[in-house]
Amino acid sequence: MTRDVLRDGALHAARRFGQIVFVVLGIAVVNFFLLRLAPGDAAEVLAGEAGAATPEFMAALRQQFGLDQPVHVQFAKYIGNILTLNLGYSFRQGMPVSWLILDRLPATMLLMGASIGFASILGSALGFLAARHAGRLTDTVVSVVALLFYATPVFWIGVVLIVVFSVWLDWLPVGGMATIEAGYTGIAYAVDVARHLVLPALTLGLFYLAIYTRLMRASMLQVYGEDFIRTAVAKGVSPRNVAARHVLRNALLPVVTMLGMQIGSILGGAILVETVFSWPGLGRLAFESLFQRDLNLLLGILLSSSVLVVLVNIAVDLAYRLLDPRVEIG
Amino acid sequence: MMSRRAFAQGVALLALLPAFSLAPSAHAAGEPRRGGTLNAIIQPEPVSLTAAVLAAAPTGIVGGNIFDGLVKYDLALKPQPELAERWETSPDGRTITFHLRRGVTWHDGKPFTSADVQWSLEHVWKPLNPRNPALFRNITSAETPDPHTVVFKLAEPSVALFSMLNGNGAQILPKHLYEGTNVLTNPHNAKPVGTGPFVFKEWVKGSHILLERNPNYWDAGKPYLDRIVFRVVPDGAARAAGLEKGDIHYAPLSPIPLRDAERLAKLPTVKVGTQGYDWLSPWLYLDFNVDSRHFKDARVRRAVAHAIDREALIKLVWFGFGKAAISPVPSTLAAFHDLEVPKYPFDPKKAEALLDEAGLKRGPDGTRLTITHDFLPYGEDYRRTGEFVKQSLKRVGIEVTLRGQDTAAFTRRVYGDRDFDLSSSWSGSFPDPQLGVARLYSSAFAGKNIPWSNGSGFRSAEADSIFKAVESEPDPTKRIQAWKRFQVLAQTELPTLPLVELRFFNVYSSRLRNAVTRGDQIFGALTEAWLDEPEKKN
Amino acid sequence: MATIAIARQEGGRRRARLAQRIRANTSAITGGVILLLVLAGALAAPVLYPGDPLDMVAAPFIWPGTDRAHVLGTDMLGRDIAAGILHGARVSLVIGLVATLVSIVIGVTLGALSGFYGGRVDAVLMRITELVQTIPPFLFALAIVAILQPSIPSIVVAIGLTAWPSLARLVRAEVLKIRHRDFVQASISLGVPHWRIIVLDILPNTLAPVIVSASILVASAILTESSLAFLGLGDPNVASWGGMVGAGREVLRTDWYVATLPGLAIVAAVLGLNLLGDGLNDILDPQR
Repeated sequence: MTRDVLRDGALHAARRFGQIVFVVLGIAVVNFFLLRLAPGDAAEVLAGEAGAATPEFMAALRQQFGLDQPVHVQFAKYIGNILTLNLGYSFRQGMPVSWLILDRLPATMLLMGASIGFASILGSALGFLAARHAGRLTDTVVSVVALLFYATPVFWIGVVLIVVFSVWLDWLPVGGMATIEAGYTGIAYAVDVARHLVLPALTLGLFYLAIYTRLMRASMLQVYGEDFIRTAVAKGVSPRNVAARHVLRNALLPVVTMLGMQIGSILGGAILVETVFSWPGLGRLAFESLFQRDLNLLLGILLSSSVLVVLVNIAVDLAYRLLDPRVEIG
Repeated sequence: MMSRRAFAQGVALLALLPAFSLAPSAHAAGEPRRGGTLNAIIQPEPVSLTAAVLAAAPTGIVGGNIFDGLVKYDLALKPQPELAERWETSPDGRTITFHLRRGVTWHDGKPFTSADVQWSLEHVWKPLNPRNPALFRNITSAETPDPHTVVFKLAEPSVALFSMLNGNGAQILPKHLYEGTNVLTNPHNAKPVGTGPFVFKEWVKGSHILLERNPNYWDAGKPYLDRIVFRVVPDGAARAAGLEKGDIHYAPLSPIPLRDAERLAKLPTVKVGTQGYDWLSPWLYLDFNVDSRHFKDARVRRAVAHAIDREALIKLVWFGFGKAAISPVPSTLAAFHDLEVPKYPFDPKKAEALLDEAGLKRGPDGTRLTITHDFLPYGEDYRRTGEFVKQSLKRVGIEVTLRGQDTAAFTRRVYGDRDFDLSSSWSGSFPDPQLGVARLYSSAFAGKNIPWSNGSGFRSAEADSIFKAVESEPDPTKRIQAWKRFQVLAQTELPTLPLVELRFFNVYSSRLRNAVTRGDQIFGALTEAWLDEPEKKN
Repeated sequence: MATIAIARQEGGRRRARLAQRIRANTSAITGGVILLLVLAGALAAPVLYPGDPLDMVAAPFIWPGTDRAHVLGTDMLGRDIAAGILHGARVSLVIGLVATLVSIVIGVTLGALSGFYGGRVDAVLMRITELVQTIPPFLFALAIVAILQPSIPSIVVAIGLTAWPSLARLVRAEVLKIRHRDFVQASISLGVPHWRIIVLDILPNTLAPVIVSASILVASAILTESSLAFLGLGDPNVASWGGMVGAGREVLRTDWYVATLPGLAIVAAVLGLNLLGDGLNDILDPQR
């Protein structure tokens, strides 16, 4: 039996690896050509920012960026790089793409982790509460409030939070990730970053709060209807215990799935939040690289985020096993 | 009401108190106070910090603190000594001798010499200057008789050269770090070594750029500030909030929405100023595509000019931060600006008459013609200018389709593909129109896919000959007359419609003093700036 | 003891079920009413405010409720906000509906083919779906709008092209359920062309979940349009809610109503669509 599990695991890992390779190549091919359809190139953007240019200057830039080569040569080079795990070079920033991404990754992970954590934990708690009081006032209030946050544009919530908590109440900083001039280290630095994190994480989290609340509520109600719960009730387990042990544990499964599905979407939402709060993350970098036609960088970010999504989904599968041993990985 | 932050600052100040009490009178009555970190905003984030390789505004704003120029410009735009202590021009105007300041060192400790100037001219200004390569190519050679003297030999006399010799227009790079490298890709472009009052410390992309006081600056005792942090803050509302709260002390280049500027200007803790942009002298204009179906007829172009109420545009869209432009040479270039040009006052009836005359009668739905308008993709103010133009033209029967796009698409469409009818843009004139205005009208740039150069596609032998003549004309009076002739020509033919002389503004904390002491301050160093003590909060 | 507990639990569940049905109906009705109001506004726009809502008709910054001619006030260019919101309802609804239609066409086609044929077809189509799903949808939409240039059609295409994968999976799952039922198998053995089976036998049975998803997709399309407009990628030729919020955020601190009123319209429409979706979900899928 153990051997079977191991074999399954190995097969599964191989399939997942195949999936990653497919995703990476697919994204590289599709986006390489898609993004080249965008009018204008990186040299024009740079010259545009300079407010002036000469033909010689433009030619020098194009040569430096490798834009003077035919597209198929550029493509062959790019795929060659990808196959050797090299994301290429951002000529605009004068740095390898992988450095730039690694530079911004911690900020993005922090923001995503905090907002997802906030949304899933509070959302599950609210969903739990609503399901326990299904059909009563608490249920309605929880559902409507969560929905209201979902329906309000993210950037609008962000700006309002800044006005209230930073400008009026002066409790939290307006934006950025740390107080640069303070030169904090150690715990003081962590506290400082945490203070900067509160509003952006809250803004991004509030949007996803509704999703988790509704998911949790629906899935709790569904689990309540299942046979093994009725058995537990029949055995005389107290309603509170039924809710907490049996129903909650099983209702968490869809929440975990949702986590996996939402990683990509959150990176998109992060663009807005990072813009409003000057958070130096990947979302903003991706947005800027798009407008600067820094295609190597944008492709690199798209590739890494796709790989991240696949990896998170693998982790979700594992979490599934832990939460529910009955689930077979398909 | 005392905020937590203010309280924390108060505690920090108490700790420093003994040090200050030793010299209680040092900063009484406007005496500069030393020390402190200036929190500034830079937006958008620069690509490079070396203006010699990239003339973008954010590069100039940060880099201006790191690099000195041969000269700087005072508030009247007269050249003043900086790295050059004095200079003389030969009577024929073809030889200029600069006597360089002694004892100046680069931030890495190496001495600054005439060889740096010579090398920069040969390898940077001549081949790479994106604005005015011709200006520098006119300098046939630079001789260095000794480490503190450099002699420029000019093919033709050049009056305009003296308006481009600051640390932005002619940035001197350290020869010992650049020689033998590709100047465009040299890593020092992003961590520059200059001779200026502030030393580059770190650049965390997407977050901030940190500069520190240069303790060995040649102007002993300066600068006053210990540190400048340029933060990247992408959102205008967040920038305004930071300034309002006092977290940010200095934000150049119209950093916040105009309506917020109007509001913040009324606060006691914030100041809004428009000084320091004269060297740039920015103006906003519409380019007619003179090769397009309708705008090849000058009457249609003039009709558009009469249909737009510039005063209303300035009031509604620009919240008063501007002045109606009547000529391509802004009034800030007082000597060159011509008041006698053909003017196009707001007069919709006249506009309609001109359109009738051009054979463009109103159709059954009231529309005479349909055009596209590509507005400059630099944010809400320019978008609203486009919306204003659209609504203004609609009233005289011109239906406008606005086209929004990003910068790359805009420059490709307007300057490359030339697939447009009407576009908007702004441009700096610089103190001499030769430097910033000629490129917008010169046929040498027409249809060459060079961003921000002759967008209208105007080709005029007369204009070209004026540009040629002023380049080598040594007599200032004759040059001024030539420029006035050009302005009459430009406003008669009207390939480009000047709309607004823009007044870019800085927003600063009222604690910041002497932030503007020169006419090219926006691209110059904050050498004289100092931070007053925080206001006591109760 | 145990029997009583079960009985009590049964009673409780029945009560909960009943409460849920009532709730579902209230939810659907509330959502429906909100949407009808939005629709009424959209239809009334040309009657109440004929002409271009982007026209500068009055002084700038007239506060709501201070001028009878402009009940909701005017923005920075003196454009009537009420006119913008009513005309904007048309634009937002059109964007939401057409983008969702694009998603449905792609998602249902791929999902149905994948579920019906299985095997290689399924493997290929699902790999493609997974591929698209790994790209952050908003970033993808931004890229498409940047490539096509901001306009209503390009925004619709961008949203439609990025929102379909979840629908494809949903339809595939439903088709898999139905495919092995007798009536489908009977049609196959009778030699009915496959496309007829898919269109006439299978798809009608997947309608309920698709309708529920569609209402949520419309809501999210309206939100996406507003986010694109916030980042400066809206269509400047029409009054849309997102565009109005995007433009109004510059004056949020001084004239908050300029961004807030169209923002409330977005909230109302998105809320209405979600309530309707919730309600329909409970009504159409009574097993839950």
